[in-house]
Amino acid sequence: MKLKRFQYLSLRYPSFIAFVFFILALLVNLYFQKSLLEPGTINNNMRVFLPLILLTTGEAVVILTGGIDISVGAIVSIVSALLATQVGLNGTPDKVATWFVVALLVGIIAGCINGFFVAYLRLPPFITTYATSFLYGGFALFILPQPGGGIPASVANVYRAINPLGLHWAFYVIPLLLLIWFLIRQTRYGRYLFAVGGKPQAAYETAVPVDLVIFSTYVVSGFMAAVTGICIVLLTGTGNPSIGDPMTLQAITAVVIGGTAMSGGVGGIAGPIMGAITLGVIKNIISFANVDTWWQTFVNAIIIVAALAAPGVISLFRRNRP
Amino acid sequence: MKKITISPPVAAVLLAVVLFVFSGFLPNSFGTDMSAAAGQAVNIIRLSVFLGIIAAGQTLVIISGSEGIDLSAGAVVTLSATLTWTIVHGRNEMVLPALVAVMLVGAVIGFINGSGIIFLKISPFVMTLSMSGVITGIIIITNHGNSQGMLAPIMTSIIARPVIFGIPGAIIIWVFFAALMWLILERTPFGKRLFAIGVNRTTAKLSGVDVTWMVLSTYALAGALAAFGGFMVVGNTGVVFLSLGTPFLFPSIAAVAVGGTLLSGGKGSYFGSMAGALVLILITSLLTTMQMSDSIRQMVLGATLLVLISIYGRQKGFRQ
Amino acid sequence: MTLSLSAQNIVKRYGGVLALSDGNLDVNPGEVVALIGANGSGKSTLSKVINGVVVLDGGQLLLDGSPVHFASPNAAKKLGISTVFQELSLVPQMTVAENIWLAREPLRSNGFVDSKEIKLRTEELLSLFEGTFKASMNFDIPVASLPPDEMQIIEILKAVSFKPQLLILDEATASLDSRQVQRLFELVAKWKDEGKAIVFVSHRMEEIFQIADKYSVLRNGKTVGSGIMKDITDKELVNLMVGADSIFGYSRAEHQDRNNPARPVRLVVENLKTDVIKGINLTVREGELLGIGGLKGQGQRDLLRSLFGDIPHEGKFILNDKIVNYTHPRHAIKDGVALVPGDRSREGLLSIRSILENLMLPSWTNYGFPLQMRRSRQDGNQISGSLNLKMAGLEEPVSSLSGGNAQKVVIGKWLLKKPRLLLLDDPTKGVDVGTKAEFYRLLQQICSGGTSIIFYSSDDEELIGLCDRVLVMFEGGIRSELEGSSLTKSNLISASMGASNGSKE
Repeated sequence: MKLKRFQYLSLRYPSFIAFVFFILALLVNLYFQKSLLEPGTINNNMRVFLPLILLTTGEAVVILTGGIDISVGAIVSIVSALLATQVGLNGTPDKVATWFVVALLVGIIAGCINGFFVAYLRLPPFITTYATSFLYGGFALFILPQPGGGIPASVANVYRAINPLGLHWAFYVIPLLLLIWFLIRQTRYGRYLFAVGGKPQAAYETAVPVDLVIFSTYVVSGFMAAVTGICIVLLTGTGNPSIGDPMTLQAITAVVIGGTAMSGGVGGIAGPIMGAITLGVIKNIISFANVDTWWQTFVNAIIIVAALAAPGVISLFRRNRP
Repeated sequence: MKKITISPPVAAVLLAVVLFVFSGFLPNSFGTDMSAAAGQAVNIIRLSVFLGIIAAGQTLVIISGSEGIDLSAGAVVTLSATLTWTIVHGRNEMVLPALVAVMLVGAVIGFINGSGIIFLKISPFVMTLSMSGVITGIIIITNHGNSQGMLAPIMTSIIARPVIFGIPGAIIIWVFFAALMWLILERTPFGKRLFAIGVNRTTAKLSGVDVTWMVLSTYALAGALAAFGGFMVVGNTGVVFLSLGTPFLFPSIAAVAVGGTLLSGGKGSYFGSMAGALVLILITSLLTTMQMSDSIRQMVLGATLLVLISIYGRQKGFRQ
Repeated sequence: MTLSLSAQNIVKRYGGVLALSDGNLDVNPGEVVALIGANGSGKSTLSKVINGVVVLDGGQLLLDGSPVHFASPNAAKKLGISTVFQELSLVPQMTVAENIWLAREPLRSNGFVDSKEIKLRTEELLSLFEGTFKASMNFDIPVASLPPDEMQIIEILKAVSFKPQLLILDEATASLDSRQVQRLFELVAKWKDEGKAIVFVSHRMEEIFQIADKYSVLRNGKTVGSGIMKDITDKELVNLMVGADSIFGYSRAEHQDRNNPARPVRLVVENLKTDVIKGINLTVREGELLGIGGLKGQGQRDLLRSLFGDIPHEGKFILNDKIVNYTHPRHAIKDGVALVPGDRSREGLLSIRSILENLMLPSWTNYGFPLQMRRSRQDGNQISGSLNLKMAGLEEPVSSLSGGNAQKVVIGKWLLKKPRLLLLDDPTKGVDVGTKAEFYRLLQQICSGGTSIIFYSSDDEELIGLCDRVLVMFEGGIRSELEGSSLTKSNLISASMGASNGSKE
């Protein structure tokens, strides 16, 4: 079938819309907060945005292959609870290092569980990860029933106060993620991801190890969720067993406005990263625009709905054109 | 894979019975005292009414297929409880108008859900989850964290207190409700079309079903039913707070799954969800009796759903 | 390294349906064997067994004389067997090169994909078909932006890139235009010289005679004849395919002249246009059985679906002197139009629901509120009886039925509505011969009752045997109108290919 030019463009350059949103949000933010582009503000912002960026990257990989992971927020919560209780405010650097590694393993294991059910038992992804989100969330509460605990201030300060070469860590992490993704796309595995997301049946017939590929995406998102957990604990310095709750929907929204279709086969991580930053910028807008406290939840939610609705509205217009 | 020959709702009821009997032998439970057991059974059923009613709308959207789900049900319950509380304000004559009003609000919310799903092609999970945030935001705006309101006496007497033979009114309401649900699903063209779109929307369209209208009305109906659930909940407990509806959401989905309704759509029954609600309430109360913390309860619920979909929810492989 | 393959006494079941009961095929290096059979004969199943996509239930496969068992389609590929299917195994969002080399991309020493090598090899492959591409073909464009014939060529190139010793072409020429087909045959001749073995699955007689050395005929899941092409004529082949006593013998003789001008006109179509259709006019009278012919994908499906209101279209429809414009099937259904769709499991049935529910789906509003189930069961039994539907009971899921019986449910669904205009999209595909005969009788009956039928079939014999008049479609338009003495197989085929001699004056 002959693709219309717009469809062709969105296949080849899916992050274009993300870019538009991103610029728009930045401009609005700048309007309300004149100091936005100062180095100090930028670093502060990126420090706060980084957790969501990390989480979104993992979710983007899962959604690219046509799946979804709703348990990522809960995994973040587990890591937060784990670190806050096991390391504690008076932990030694040894302990910190050890438990960081344990946290990553926890994320991988959680991802393996998800991957097992979805890839090998062939359960539908959304209900499966919804179920595991409860399982994992309960586990987080079990480890840490109330917000509390923490990590040594000296460790947290590495994240909070230090800006190597004047730029926050985020400015090194993001290019690293993009580089890793670029390299992955140069491997067979990278192509497997797109094939499985685009047309799993065709991928199967072409000897792509579909089950293994799908399994691996959940391990990736679990791992990234653990990294996010570490990052959040570094950011806040304390633990919170519900910290991940709102992050799942945010990550998914970031992926969608980043141009990765929920049906899979199209997308990357650059768009979703932009999407995650955009969501953070929007939160800034809401507070700097002096939105009444009572209205903030509503406004934030409406913006998320609007962002999720945007691709649909655009294609609605496209369809009604002659 | 072994074929399961007992129909899922029956299996769920059997499971409920087993759990109930098991709970009897825990310390401080009814043991072999028959009248205490009967009393406890009635209590369990009464507790299940509210989850059961909230699971009704969930049953409908799940049957409608295409990954149908309503994650806004919890928020709708809270909103409807708050509205009922405020509208009724202690006056008996406002009960019926309050009920109509909240069901209308629920229907509108459901309609919005359905529109996003069918017109904007947003997946049901994402659409209803984000709407739940919007609804919560609206609740905060309208009552700034605390609401003024009061139940009407008639509500308490019908819902919470025993009406006939010592059976609480809530249970009787549930029985009528279940009959109505059965009627809708099995004896109306709407119900038949609902199953049809759950199985195969192309076939349905080519057989004359207006799929768009069906999706819109299913979600609207689900919203109205969730609102009815909120009405019942506040009628039972008489208190309202922001997370009132949240504990019902996950169990409502689990109840539908336990009851054997295919999560892919096209097959199921409300009786199954009722049995599922019983099972879930039993699990919850068992855990409470064993003095397990909230966190363990949550983990058990999550694991239960996981086990269930492993049994009922597997999809076809690639090779024939 | 050459390969010879022998498939012996292959048995294959799909659920309750026996697709193959005795399938056989022998192919040696340097020869082209044509695997021939009517729709539903099992030829696609046999080729799927040979290349490992489907697991056989009985019989054996011998490769170079030794028994072999394929654990997956990939296993067959490793042994040198490659297939080109009609249903594509391409990922639409990926590029031509990405699709061809998926899972086998040449790698550089550091483990990364070697894009230069990929570009080179892809362009090499594309040059095999040089000159037959319409627009600009490039290794780097998404497959989704290609027309169906070029997608098919990519599919062929993908199979060829495996450097197979045994190549199976399963209806691979269906979407290709004549120039592309000729180029493919030139390549096949070259491969023969190189010692490759080729299996050519097709129903196109001319192509078979042009390219094949040997033949093997399947009928109703059994191999009924094989031998050398030089020793057989097309009539004899057709006889093998259809069986000595053709079921069509009777129906033609009993035709009345249904295009009698005295009969009232039921439907007039003026200047119908869709994405695929370029402007069609036609008229159908009451009680007429109008056939639509032509090669697949020429717009036949679009014609039926736009009449049913299923796809957007332009043009004027006049049904029984009333101008109508359907935007959704339910409007068409209300006016007495019905459509039996082309893909019965994906478009015609609700597989996990009961036979009763399938039959009643468009009709529930006639049964009151609450639904009177007893009356609906009565009607259900009645229609099943009149269709001779073999079932365990109305409450059984429709997935328990065999292909022919399942199709009866689809037809029964519409007969209950007593339509004025019945549209059928290749209804006898995958249906066994016995049920086909019942269908033909049924269709004749329906016509006698005054219903008009528009009937698309990919089976030329069926069209000739059954219809009063056949409109042959080609590239979105009506190429020929064949009737009476001009309704012959050769006229049909030449019109399908785009020539237009033999039309009714």
